[in-house]
Amino acid sequence: MIKGILKNIIRRKQAIRFPEEFQVPPDQELEIVDLKKKIHAIFRRSLRIRQVDAGSCNACEWECTALTNPVYDIQRFGMDFVASPRHADLLLVTGPVSRQMELALKKTYLATPDPKLVIACGDCARDGGIYKGSYAVANGVARVIPVDGCIPGCPPTPTAILKGLLDLLRYTRKPLDT
Amino acid sequence: MEKLLKKAINIKDHLNEQYIEVARDDFRDACRYLWNEKDAILRLMFAVDERSISGSFKVHAVFSIPGMDRFFIIVLSLQEPVRPAHGPELVEGDDLSFPSLTVDIPAAHWYEREIRDMFGLNPQDHPDPRRLVFHESFPARSYPLRKDWAITDSDAKEWGEGMAEKEPYRFMQVEGEGIYEIPVGPVHAGIIEPGHFRFSAVGETIFFLEPRLFYTHKGTEKLFESFGFEDGVNLAERVSGTSSFSHSAAYCMAVERMMGVHLTEKAEAARTLLLEMERLYNHIGDIGNLCAGTGLTVGYARGAVIKEKLMQLNQRVTGSRYLRGVNLIGGISKEIFPHSDHIRSTLDIVTKEYKGLMKLLLGTVSHIERLENTGVLSREIARKLGATGVSARASGIPDDIRHAHPHLFYDRLDFEANTMAAGDVLARMMVRTADLECSISIIRTILDGRYQGENAAGTRAIPPFAASLGYTEGPRGSIFYWVMADHAGGVFRVKLRSPSFCNWPVVPFAVHGNIVPDFPLCNKSFNLSYSGCDM
Ligand code: SF4
Repeated sequence: MIKGILKNIIRRKQAIRFPEEFQVPPDQELEIVDLKKKIHAIFRRSLRIRQVDAGSCNACEWECTALTNPVYDIQRFGMDFVASPRHADLLLVTGPVSRQMELALKKTYLATPDPKLVIACGDCARDGGIYKGSYAVANGVARVIPVDGCIPGCPPTPTAILKGLLDLLRYTRKPLDT
Repeated sequence: MEKLLKKAINIKDHLNEQYIEVARDDFRDACRYLWNEKDAILRLMFAVDERSISGSFKVHAVFSIPGMDRFFIIVLSLQEPVRPAHGPELVEGDDLSFPSLTVDIPAAHWYEREIRDMFGLNPQDHPDPRRLVFHESFPARSYPLRKDWAITDSDAKEWGEGMAEKEPYRFMQVEGEGIYEIPVGPVHAGIIEPGHFRFSAVGETIFFLEPRLFYTHKGTEKLFESFGFEDGVNLAERVSGTSSFSHSAAYCMAVERMMGVHLTEKAEAARTLLLEMERLYNHIGDIGNLCAGTGLTVGYARGAVIKEKLMQLNQRVTGSRYLRGVNLIGGISKEIFPHSDHIRSTLDIVTKEYKGLMKLLLGTVSHIERLENTGVLSREIARKLGATGVSARASGIPDDIRHAHPHLFYDRLDFEANTMAAGDVLARMMVRTADLECSISIIRTILDGRYQGENAAGTRAIPPFAASLGYTEGPRGSIFYWVMADHAGGVFRVKLRSPSFCNWPVVPFAVHGNIVPDFPLCNKSFNLSYSGCDM
């Protein structure tokens, strides 16, 4: 086993296999490893994510939290959730943006240093989802701040969120900064 | 009771609900009588805009008396003052007010402020006349749950921008030497929901906390009115993510009772099973999360792994990690019992790992010490402010809807309403552990049975203006839905009451006298849903 790990390290390959619970088909596994390289290239091995709840039902948040548990363990890809928008490269916004959260979301966006990416996570964040048309929501994140990508699902599973990040980064060219 | 019934103008019985309409002058007395003499619990309070039906607004206060499977619903009609045709708009005034119950029944506090925000009915003599749901920039004299309400685009835009102050809101202030304020939120450091907290602290000690919530208000009750009863299930599932199943089960139950549909034995068993599975994953997650509050990373990680296993079990059994898409009016949409073996084997693993986790937690003095005597909620406050679920039971109030108003399979099962006396964070954790052990044994018992019937019993036509309650005991406490149909069987009103709405008001009392760094711990021990509360 040690031999195997050593071999992986030498070949700069993913040393930790995905545990069975991860439920990732092998082809996606490769893509996720690919994501790690991309993060290395663009963000110098650290993509810092700030999660913002803009009126979600809380299931989307729990899936983000699940990404940090030992099963998904998002940190090993060089990504992590941070406590302040000032430390973040990427805003992961959930919820349809309730009217009473609009201002707070805008302020969070402004507090995030450039260059930054914004992902709308979940059906609600994409276009309001089931809440579309309610008097108290803005029908999606894109109506309030500029959005770079969407992750569909209600809620998107942790794997889907990870895949969504990959898809976004695939189309993001290096260097991001000016 | 006789005295109360004698005063009634109108009495209507429907299943275990008794609607007692009283005159305005008797409203307070009737409620006070139930609260004081009968020790009744205020389950929920809401208004309905029935102007198009009976020409009046109706205020309902739903009580239940411990030991009695019956709901006493005190109803008050508020006649709209007669105005000449094309006369001026309704003005907030004496005519559209109702006698506030808050002075006698503190548990009515938030409900009454909510009724004011949503319907423009003034609770007369309410000690706190500020807005509850809407923030400053929401237009004044605008009441969304009135049937003739609409909001202009410019008002909606201004509301979102949040700069205008259309109705001021003043935070309560504490004055004195050395007192300073710490404002926190609405965007917090962790991956959690938004809310604003304002602490008044002396040194490290919290003297006073005022939470300002409703940032995630999404107009859910109004939105229900634009859905059909059947589509409403999807919305009920999305009121509070981690209580998806309990919410939709309560909603379905309300609609089914209104229609007069009886579930098959199999559907009842499946719903009970899934309710307990939801409780299980929530409680395990909560116990693990408490460790994040004390810095015990191992405990947190182990809790999260067990929870993940249960989530994946949910996915395998129902196709959704949050048990969504299973409930429908009249039953369930999926076969649950073919997965019995899988559920059993996962439960075996989970039980083993959970025992290991508890051994670790209870053996870690630094962890337990932080939980003990922290965030104490006294029985008196819990009772007065109407706390529910784990928060109430950990303070010695044996209230559990599964016992108080048996439904589904619960009258055929043997389980306890687990209580503790201490009311601290540790007590809430221990009540959770006892609850989840009950859940495991309930799940096993149900899996051992054989059940007859279809998955779904089908629906029936809804009588005009029918109304009914539905309820479940969710992971956080009792969940109530009250639904009412219009003349053609469409949705007229849906009132939902999530446990967090009852439990938020007690949090400031529990944190009083604790140090600021313990606040996250107290907060986690209640584990309240913002989205469920804000609706
Ligand atoms: S997308 Fe679904 S899970 Fe996410 S916040 Fe919206 S309703 Fe909740």
